[in-house]
Amino acid sequence: MRWKESYSPLLLVTPAVAYILYFSLYPTFTAVFESFQTPFASNTLSNYQGLVFLGLGNAIANTLVVSFGALAFQFFLAFIIAGLLAREFIGKRAFMTITILPWGVATIVASFIFSNIFTVSDGYMNSFLQLFGLPSVNWYSNFSSKILLLILSDSWKNTPIVAMILLAGMTGISRELYNAAAIDGAGPVRRFFYVTLPNLRNFILIALVIRGISEFNIFALPLVLVGYNPPFLATLAYEFYSTTSSIYYSYAASTILLAVVLVFALVALKLRRIA
Amino acid sequence: MAFFSRAIQHVLVAFVSALLLYPLYILFLISFSPVEFTLGSLRPLQWPGGFTLQNLVQAIQGTNLVDPTMRSLMTASLVGVITLLFGIPAAYGLSKLPNNLSNMISALLFLVNMIPALVIAIPISVSFITLHLYNTILGLALAQGLVALPFTIFLLLGAFQSLPKDLENQARVDGAGMLRTLYTLLVPLSKSAVAAAFLISWMLSWDEFTFAVILSPINPTLPIIIYTNITRGNILASSSFALVLTLPVVILTIMLQRYLKGEYLSGGLHG
Repeated sequence: MRWKESYSPLLLVTPAVAYILYFSLYPTFTAVFESFQTPFASNTLSNYQGLVFLGLGNAIANTLVVSFGALAFQFFLAFIIAGLLAREFIGKRAFMTITILPWGVATIVASFIFSNIFTVSDGYMNSFLQLFGLPSVNWYSNFSSKILLLILSDSWKNTPIVAMILLAGMTGISRELYNAAAIDGAGPVRRFFYVTLPNLRNFILIALVIRGISEFNIFALPLVLVGYNPPFLATLAYEFYSTTSSIYYSYAASTILLAVVLVFALVALKLRRIA
Repeated sequence: MAFFSRAIQHVLVAFVSALLLYPLYILFLISFSPVEFTLGSLRPLQWPGGFTLQNLVQAIQGTNLVDPTMRSLMTASLVGVITLLFGIPAAYGLSKLPNNLSNMISALLFLVNMIPALVIAIPISVSFITLHLYNTILGLALAQGLVALPFTIFLLLGAFQSLPKDLENQARVDGAGMLRTLYTLLVPLSKSAVAAAFLISWMLSWDEFTFAVILSPINPTLPIIIYTNITRGNILASSSFALVLTLPVVILTIMLQRYLKGEYLSGGLHG
């Protein structure tokens, strides 16, 4: 009876765990294993060598730049939003709704909208600039502006989740800490750096892990806005998959993507343990 | 916790709201304004130049909107069913397991959730062809369920844990088995959380792109139809489809707001 009491819950958990393991770990092993195969050879690095030649280095660098850029921008905005929501004001509920809305909008829709805001010459961003007499910008003229518009577009949809996680952390910080800090003469800026940030450490790390991982997977947005150039890890993998040139290349690109995600998660979780 | 003075607070709230609403506003402008004020103009108007349903009508006549919409609806509903089917017992089981074991399983769920969809989707597409699941609603739903299931489990786990323990003990004393306690007592008591879990899973599938583009390219769902129309340059059709995709989601997001808390969104990483 005792055995049954403590381990029959396992039976309830088993179907879900089996489903998840079967549909995720098995394909993942396949992808990693196949990335070292070719039609002509097995256990070879030739797919990776081919990818290096076809711009793997750029894809990794671009993925990291956009990911960390977007993370920085999202955290900056999310801190402002969470700071606003941490206090009572008229219209707070409406503001909360507006804040969460972009979370629900599909990535492909966000990509579509931003492809009309940022265009080569006549988009909404440019007509907005013209309202103030500013010159039009070709948002696709160079690499940096492409990266910048990807960061901005990505952040619209993804800031809400960061803000919600930070807000969950902020509401857990006791008011007395702030009052004590205020009595000791700490202004808002110092209160933020000496009370809010240290107490939010775990929430920041959680948001960082969750967002960071999906940032590295950035796919539909660059696909719509810039196509395959500049390349990102996910778009590179998809390009080789969809053009059927070599599925083994796309396995290799996905394996690299997986490795990047795992390294990032391990570092972040290590930081969390130290905290 | 006043980081900002009152006046700055109001200005910031207004500014951030405008920033967040602007892209949605643009979607409505493109969908409902005559094209000469939007896409056909070198300087698209920032405000409505007029109101027309012509864009939507043209999109519906020009492209098959019904099939992708039905397919999206069915896939999303199936994902909701699958996640509840697996998620309800799993969440209850987790709430009953000893802490170290349940933490281990939660960690596993979280870990698996980190695996990029693309890494999973490409090998699956190959095996789905032999299993006759490629380009099917069931196949796509099974894959998308992976995205929604961990979230569902953590949301329901929270709901079950918030119920008073005495209720459950009473049922058990009265002779109800574990499954009966779960389905006749706990699930009805947490019906709003169960409904929220279903709808959020529904929504995640409704919006999902990566699995859909790889596993069901020939029988596309709405997001894929939007993508193919963008690549073909059918911007007006894309905007109509984008609108159809977005309206239900906006309503659901507003309805489900109180479940979209940081605690659940962070996928059980707490503790």
